[in-house]
Amino acid sequence: MLTQFRNLFSPPRDLILIVAAIWFGLFLAEKRSAKHGISNDDLNNIVFIPLIGYLLGGRILFALENLSAFTQNPQSLISLNVDLFDPVGGLVVAAIVALVYGQRRKLSLWSTLDALTPLFAVFTLGLGLAHLASGSAFGKETALPWGMQLWGTLRHPSQVYEILVSFLILGLLWFQKADTRPGVYFLTFTILTSGSRLFLEAFRGDSTLIFGGLRLAQVGAWTVLVFSLYFLDRANKDTFRV
Amino acid sequence: MQPIQRRLLYTFILIAGLVWIFVSADRAGTSTAGEISAPREGFLAPDFSLGTPEGETFTLSELRGKAVLVNLWATWCPPCRAEMPAMQKLYDEYKDQGFVVLAINMTYQDNPAAVVPFVQENGLTFPILLEGTGEVGETYELRSLPSSFFIDRNGIIQEVVIGGPMSEALLRTRIESILQ
Repeated sequence: MLTQFRNLFSPPRDLILIVAAIWFGLFLAEKRSAKHGISNDDLNNIVFIPLIGYLLGGRILFALENLSAFTQNPQSLISLNVDLFDPVGGLVVAAIVALVYGQRRKLSLWSTLDALTPLFAVFTLGLGLAHLASGSAFGKETALPWGMQLWGTLRHPSQVYEILVSFLILGLLWFQKADTRPGVYFLTFTILTSGSRLFLEAFRGDSTLIFGGLRLAQVGAWTVLVFSLYFLDRANKDTFRV
Repeated sequence: MQPIQRRLLYTFILIAGLVWIFVSADRAGTSTAGEISAPREGFLAPDFSLGTPEGETFTLSELRGKAVLVNLWATWCPPCRAEMPAMQKLYDEYKDQGFVVLAINMTYQDNPAAVVPFVQENGLTFPILLEGTGEVGETYELRSLPSSFFIDRNGIIQEVVIGGPMSEALLRTRIESILQ
């Protein structure tokens, strides 16, 4: 079954899983957006306008980083190759576009993030499925009975861990009682997600290591956890306004 | 929960997180990706020996020290055909710097008689290898054509591009990266 799934959604078809996750996440987010005081129009716009920014920004920044390659072949700028892309640069552009749109529409940052939380939760699930299909985010070697044969050896099924935890987080959030304090719903998601990443990263075989063999993703997840707990503490004091 | 209890809980969570980071640190740098062969970025490119239509044999591991593009293709595949001129152009441009293209025709699922005319028609001068058994396709977990593997001078796969056609800019950025 796993082989069939990987054959069906092997790259570049794994992008279908990401697109489907965005669509389904937005569908779920629309069902709850009114509770957070965000209209469905604003919700859709704050997803699709930054998404366009992500696609254009990622391609333009990649071209600027590799200017000599594009000056010799400018038509590559509109090539359908998804590999001609700077994903980090695209994310930065998308975040800026979202902030500008939110400010122009005078949307509350925390309420907007709350409204988008189901989308984020489904997106992380879709990302896990895409990782399983492409074999990326693979686990470290193991002799455990549930190890998965991948990339030349038996490995922790890190993508399966990722999917199970994402599914659990989505379930917890979906059935969580509505909390009227802005930001609490989103912060619950970031705390659960960063906490699980902090734990599960230890079983990954492709971690970026920094000094002393520390895993960069764990350090990043711990930092997100610090800020999330700090803001949650402020929210609990009921003096929390952004 | 009282504020003091809440903050104690948060502090405990953060300390536990820090302990886990240090406990699970990969001090030995145990990633064996560069020692295991697999068709994946960061892994040693799986070795193969294949012959050309002219009878010459190429073995991937014997090209260590050179930057290699392994391209899996077939004559019936339009994107494969479309990317060949750009590959030829950049092969001409970079071959003196140690760049090699191994274009492996998936002969077991292609018409063998169509290969040589296609090569001549397009003036391809890089080695065209014939894969008649499907073994290399299986080793490289071939699921889509074309599939391209950019291999650095140490034999490590630096980039995998599935699908095509690859644009000239994409080829140029990846070739310059593996030549470094």
